[in-house]
Amino acid sequence: MFELISNLALGFSVAWTLNNLTFCLIGALLGTLIGVLPGIGPLATVAMLLPITFSLPADGALIMLAGIYYGAQYGGSTTSILLNVPGESSSVVTALDGHAMARQGRAGAALAIAAIGSFFAGCVATVGIAVVGPPLAGIAQQFGAAEYFSLMLFGLIGAVVLASGSVIKAVAMIVLGLLLGLVGQDVTSGAGRFTFGIPELSDGIGFVAVAMGLFGLAEIMTNLERARSVPEGQETVMPVHGLMPTKADLKTSRWPILRGTVIGSFLGILPGGGAVLASFSSYTLEKRIAKDPTRFGNGAIEGVAGPEAANNAAAQASFIPLLTLGIPSNPVMALMIGAMTIQGITPGPQVMVKQPALFWGMIASMWIGNLMLVIINLPLVGIWVQLLKVPYRFLFPAIIIFCAIGIYSLNNSPVDVLFTALFGVLGYLFVKLGFEPAPLLLGFILGPMMEENLRRALQISRGNLMTFVERPISLGLLIATAVLLAIVILPSVRKGREEAFQE
Amino acid sequence: MRLGILASVALGCLLTVGHAFAQDKYPSKPIRLIVSFAVGGPTDIVARVMGAKMSELLGQQVVVDNRPGAGGNLGADVVAKSAPDGYTLLMATVSTHAINPGLYKKMPYDPVKDFEPVGQVGITPAILAVHKSLPVKDAKELAALIKANPGKYSYGSSGMGSILHLCGESFKMMTGGLDLEHVPYRGSGPMMNDLSAGQIPMAFDGTPTMLPQIQAGTIRALATGTATRARALPDLPTMQEQGFKGFECYTWNAIFAPAKTPKPIVDQLNAAMTTALNDKAVFGRLQDVGIDPTPGATPAQLADFVKAELAKWAPIIKASGAEID
Repeated sequence: MFELISNLALGFSVAWTLNNLTFCLIGALLGTLIGVLPGIGPLATVAMLLPITFSLPADGALIMLAGIYYGAQYGGSTTSILLNVPGESSSVVTALDGHAMARQGRAGAALAIAAIGSFFAGCVATVGIAVVGPPLAGIAQQFGAAEYFSLMLFGLIGAVVLASGSVIKAVAMIVLGLLLGLVGQDVTSGAGRFTFGIPELSDGIGFVAVAMGLFGLAEIMTNLERARSVPEGQETVMPVHGLMPTKADLKTSRWPILRGTVIGSFLGILPGGGAVLASFSSYTLEKRIAKDPTRFGNGAIEGVAGPEAANNAAAQASFIPLLTLGIPSNPVMALMIGAMTIQGITPGPQVMVKQPALFWGMIASMWIGNLMLVIINLPLVGIWVQLLKVPYRFLFPAIIIFCAIGIYSLNNSPVDVLFTALFGVLGYLFVKLGFEPAPLLLGFILGPMMEENLRRALQISRGNLMTFVERPISLGLLIATAVLLAIVILPSVRKGREEAFQE
Repeated sequence: MRLGILASVALGCLLTVGHAFAQDKYPSKPIRLIVSFAVGGPTDIVARVMGAKMSELLGQQVVVDNRPGAGGNLGADVVAKSAPDGYTLLMATVSTHAINPGLYKKMPYDPVKDFEPVGQVGITPAILAVHKSLPVKDAKELAALIKANPGKYSYGSSGMGSILHLCGESFKMMTGGLDLEHVPYRGSGPMMNDLSAGQIPMAFDGTPTMLPQIQAGTIRALATGTATRARALPDLPTMQEQGFKGFECYTWNAIFAPAKTPKPIVDQLNAAMTTALNDKAVFGRLQDVGIDPTPGATPAQLADFVKAELAKWAPIIKASGAEID
């Protein structure tokens, strides 16, 4: 305990200097901005800023880059709520209820609860990194191919539960997602699958292109269609009654925020899923345990509070494997490793021992950064709300340009831009036909990982299927999956579920 | 597309006409240095470090342009098909110029005919390491342990046909065909995750990913893949010292221009590279990412080096059965 306090004191002494406070503020603001802008993600931004960090001091550079990453989680929710265009993939579920709240004129409350939930989760996760970082990272290290396979299976079954509407349609979308995920070079054999001899397809279809097309462009198209039938002005301006949530809102959100924080902290440590999986899981959980699940999708505040807390907690927790083991849990963390290496720091377990000032300084800066985000974001909510008053004819071209720039900047590939457009059209068709794109996205992400880990687990065990039940963590996840499956299939539950999804 | 080709042909003509003037002026506009891998990766860092110093020396910006895809072939092909005017260069790797030609069924370019060698940046030794739980102290003992337990051991790599895969295959071939399963990952990060956790028992990888885990004691280094010891691990004997005759496994970076780039331009660029590599700060930064810089390598030496590398890997790729569509 005493050690923890003295460690944190050391951290704050590093973070609380004018230089580092400034870097923290720049990072947090920049993160919010790119989070708000659909298409420009933290990955592209951190990548673009890497050359600049060459000339900065190590602690300042890392504090700023970290700020961009968690700041983006704050900003990403803003466009989800106001425009139904998730700024970040982790804010996709926030759009479901957040935007419904905005339509009811409660955009202010949704934004505020998202910020409060994120702040709370950020604080808890920061303390979490400091207290349980090292031992927790040990659990993540026990995750081998078999455990990952079982985890993915669990996630896919969860996607069926998450989907609203017809189960058949949800399964169809998951399978379509799986098929799209298969495109590209097979990791194990090197064979090209569905590449049609196009070299750009050999690395598969980009996740951002799929997500941005299905969620961003498709929404813009449906909005355009609606805007034509509604007189100018009435469509876009939604009245905002007060920025602060009511007491009842806060009371309802209390537990979802807490649960989201726990889910996010755990999933953030695991490589792969991270913030996206965390927000999906939290939403599923909240919907499952809600007394009246029909409210979900129609502006339930729990559907904003839980996922927002979860994605921010996950963003913060993903620093645990980076800082304690030197292992990146997502591409942004991989860039952070690059930034550390450039600075002459060898990432890995000894950073904590050899560079205590840097390690604890970064942790302290995360807490300060989260506080800054709430302070700068709650007043800025007013400015974001103003975005609603911008006519669609200005807003839409601007969004599409930012999307195109963001997509292009990922790989400098015009093909990615084309794919985004293609998925936009596809997403529009899905909306028209009543298909939910979320399960497709989950199938797209989890499918290839699941296949890869299944084959890897069998390669390592030399074809012995028992490896999945002999390993305790994997067995536990498989049992949980079976329970989940039973819940969906049981007739009484299914009836209730169908009622729940009546819209 | 066709317009682009026309434009570059027209540009090429113009440049030939203005040859005499253009030459003393080179470079008169920013130079594009293409990296056929993602931002933030080792090749990208090398390109940015070199690009910054070379900008200073040449008096024109050297702009790094990332064109990832198809195992590096996309970006390399852009350079192969560019005008040979010294304004488009490639930061090549062992993949683009030594492995891919033997690995891919269809290659868009020829690594020798389509490029003009400019100069080598350096090489990164591959290290052989095992999880700490393995009761072996050197590569010989490891080979004996695998031989005594057939069907039990596997090794990780950063992907099918990656240099780390071929390192493992060389090891297998030199020990008379060990029963050792190859387990490919998507890149060396996830592979190192599993190696340090003991999910896979052994792997080859470069020093930047290996060092932190070696120092933390989660993995044990057994041997260096180069003929001489690695600068970062001077106490670690090489594979050759341990009796693996002719074992050489490392990655490298070098700059290439499109074929038929005028010799004065190549020489000017090579001179700038040599000066950059002799700079203490540049040398130090490259060492930080695990590279042993090779300042002073001439274009002719690089040409011979690439031919030797192509000849070295072709039979190993063939024997391993690795193939990419």
